[in-house]
Amino acid sequence: MATTIAKPELLVGKRLRRREDPRLITGTATYVDDIKMPGMLYAVIVRSPHAAASIKSMDVSKAAQHPGVAAVFTGKDTEKVGPVPCGSSLPGLRVPHHYILAPERVYFVGHPVAVVVATDRYVAKDAADLIEIDWDVRGAVADPEKAIADGAPPVHPQWPDNKAFTHHQEGGDVDKAFAEADVIVKQRITSQRLIPTAMETRGVVAEWRAADRQLNLYSSTQIPHLMRSLVAQMLGLEENRLRVVTPEVGGGFGSKLNVYAEEALMGFVAMKLGKPVKWIESRRENFLCTIHGRGHVDYYEVAAKKDGTITGIKLLIIQDLGAYHQLLTPAIPTLSVLMMPGLYKTANIRADIIGAFTNCVPTDAYRGAGRPEATHGIERMVDILAAELKMDPVEIRLKNFIQKEDFPFPTATGLTYDTGDYSLPLKKALGMVGYEKLRAEQAEKRKKGELMGIGISTYGEICAFGPSPATPAGGWESATVKIDPSGKVTVMTGCSPHGQGEETTFAQIAADELGIDIDDILVLHGDTAIVQYGIGTFGSRATAVGGTALYFALQDLKAKIKKFGAFLLESDDATLAGGVVTCNKTGASKTLQEIAGATYRAMKLPANTEPGLIATHFWEPTNFTFPFGAHIVVSDIDRETGGITIRRYIAVDDCGNILNPLIVDGQVHGGVAQGLGQALWEEAVYDESGQLVTGEMTDYVLPRAHMMPWIESDHTTTPTPVNPLGVKGVGEAGTIGCSPAMVNSVVDALSPLGVRHIDMPMTPEKIWRLVQGASSQEPVARMGERL
Amino acid sequence: MKISGSHTLQFPPEKAYTLMQDPDVLARAIPGCESLEKTGEDEYRMKMKMALASFSGAFEGKVRITDQTPPQSFRLLVEGTGKIGFMRGNGLLKLAASGAGTEVSYEGDALVGGTMAAVGQRLIDGTARMLIKRFFEKLGEEKAASG
Repeated sequence: MATTIAKPELLVGKRLRRREDPRLITGTATYVDDIKMPGMLYAVIVRSPHAAASIKSMDVSKAAQHPGVAAVFTGKDTEKVGPVPCGSSLPGLRVPHHYILAPERVYFVGHPVAVVVATDRYVAKDAADLIEIDWDVRGAVADPEKAIADGAPPVHPQWPDNKAFTHHQEGGDVDKAFAEADVIVKQRITSQRLIPTAMETRGVVAEWRAADRQLNLYSSTQIPHLMRSLVAQMLGLEENRLRVVTPEVGGGFGSKLNVYAEEALMGFVAMKLGKPVKWIESRRENFLCTIHGRGHVDYYEVAAKKDGTITGIKLLIIQDLGAYHQLLTPAIPTLSVLMMPGLYKTANIRADIIGAFTNCVPTDAYRGAGRPEATHGIERMVDILAAELKMDPVEIRLKNFIQKEDFPFPTATGLTYDTGDYSLPLKKALGMVGYEKLRAEQAEKRKKGELMGIGISTYGEICAFGPSPATPAGGWESATVKIDPSGKVTVMTGCSPHGQGEETTFAQIAADELGIDIDDILVLHGDTAIVQYGIGTFGSRATAVGGTALYFALQDLKAKIKKFGAFLLESDDATLAGGVVTCNKTGASKTLQEIAGATYRAMKLPANTEPGLIATHFWEPTNFTFPFGAHIVVSDIDRETGGITIRRYIAVDDCGNILNPLIVDGQVHGGVAQGLGQALWEEAVYDESGQLVTGEMTDYVLPRAHMMPWIESDHTTTPTPVNPLGVKGVGEAGTIGCSPAMVNSVVDALSPLGVRHIDMPMTPEKIWRLVQGASSQEPVARMGERL
Repeated sequence: MKISGSHTLQFPPEKAYTLMQDPDVLARAIPGCESLEKTGEDEYRMKMKMALASFSGAFEGKVRITDQTPPQSFRLLVEGTGKIGFMRGNGLLKLAASGAGTEVSYEGDALVGGTMAAVGQRLIDGTARMLIKRFFEKLGEEKAASG
């Protein structure tokens, strides 16, 4: 088949449909659970029903003798497997040893203590029920503020204060700013625990080929290469003997940016038994045992002048870490500190973090990872300050924005914002929503006692993670481009996607650079035996860092194509365009296909040139990128039911250059859904004894299609100079911009009733109580308590 | 979780108290109770079946009676584990004459864990109330049968 050449128009910037979607929507994609191997065994994990307990005795004999059971392993068997890794390092960080199976003590409900391996998943489950464990139940603590208070039961006995770390950061002269302030506003703001709930739960298949000394691990992960490095260490296996394959990944949102006990555990089981083994996480396990997000209690103080100029910010974060550090657990709140000034020109900041151990599943990165918390905090505080000074929330924002000419802007928290024009998206959003008219309507409604709110958030975020010195495991990304002798192109990216559409966007980049048809390009990822190495997909980095690595690999290849083409044409003045090298003097030309064939046939080679057409580039960014935007929510509140109706949702995002507007829209929509989820519905609730009482979807309210507003999405474009594509990243923007806009809208609606702040989720019951004049901070009664 | 309430029985406190200390009567009156076996002074081993929403399971546990002040009050301590989780409860039952009958009031704490807590939390309170109501109704039937 001939390679199509001379493509008429550029694809970057086009609203191209995702090439990966047909297989996804026709049910023909391959997920971990679709992998079947001869002789495969199935594993079920036995987990603690207690939040804090010791194992007095465990009897697995009945389970081991159950027909169909191949083996039962407990914490005693796996004690020598390395601990589940914590990839963050903070000074003085206390890192508990995180066994893959707890040999003696358990620290949260769901803590794995044994694994049953059988011929069938259901047999394994039946056998698991036969394991008898005698528990010595201990006192547990599930609330981070209670955990660090005197007299709380210690999560880990060696650290009775339950503090994993404290972190202090200061910029400017905060004391002076507060001493000279005209007004100081204070507020406690929580960002509740959330359950990431990827549509596909986690899953692992492990296959040990003893004769080849090769372990193949299939895992639903965002980071196949980091997983290979870390799991190899845990198992004491040479890294080159472990292959991690990531087939289709049905969502991650950060919850699969991790290495869990189960990957090494399945590797251990496969190596012990010499048979392939599969473990698929159940939804209940997913709720109990996969990381949660957020879990902040924040204490804010903002100092300002009478005219609304913000002069200083103080922030104390109490981070609910859970019982252990997963890969990035302690690092997440430090990202909140970095983003605490938001888009505002404040030189004076002070931040303290107390990382609190609790008897809960660990928290870690969840869409936005630290930045939604920070944005929610500062955007709430700016509104609270505006209310205090009787200023319009638009006016106070415009007054404090870092100005266009201030970039690159060094923040008080040590970042350098790349580019921005923060008033652009705000003004565009105000125009779209018809701000003046809405305020007039609101004034009329208030006279009649009707509750209508207009909420604004102007968010900034850190994307394109990131320069290597600022990340735990390297912040570069890699790409290989291979052109076959037939001229067909294969792109291999280290950014293994889980829904980002890189098979489309990366092909768009390659098609434009090489001037060939997109159908001639295959994008491969998620297999450590195929892809050179990679960091992974998280922190809105895939396009900005991985796409840039691809861009540079393509430049190398283009130079070689041109050199080879000119050589074949015997020309010293040739141009590469549209997949063809043309001699500018004779007009003679060679197609990419002809050139590719000649580079491999290698009958004649240009001087100092190797055969073949393959280029690999590892790209190290010099900075993060800093997208921004404005979201506006217009809401109406029903006084009788406390129900919130979103009348308008405006999202104007500036993520730099846009490669594919359809994919950007998708990211914004998904992000907003998760932002609204936090603002209105979702909350992981542990009771006092550490039981997760929102253990399934009837109790944990995820947004569904009919609950979503129509999102009016638009963009402004401020490219970044950090990468040649000018892209900033948009994977998390929707979530970050959304929750403060939603809460600001409802607080604005209820402000005539004296409401100044509402903690999320803003359930109808909470709103109804506020309307009825009840205390805003009362815990929400569960249904049962009203029976 | 706090559980409290009251129930009126159509017979005097002395009779009610005696019935509630009789393992055979209790075995029949406790909903789902499959066996109640005396293991010591005021201590019993109990097997019961419980259904909560879409799932049900067998429980094995201990029942202890303490602080007896016949016929006014006693304390009940229950502990059970099963495949769908575990529960622990501790309640004080007070009996007071009310006309010809008895007003039984109870107040206690219950703790549940495991799948039952994660999945059935919303329903536990309602289920507990229903089970208690059934228990007292059964007790009334036992009285009628025993005269």
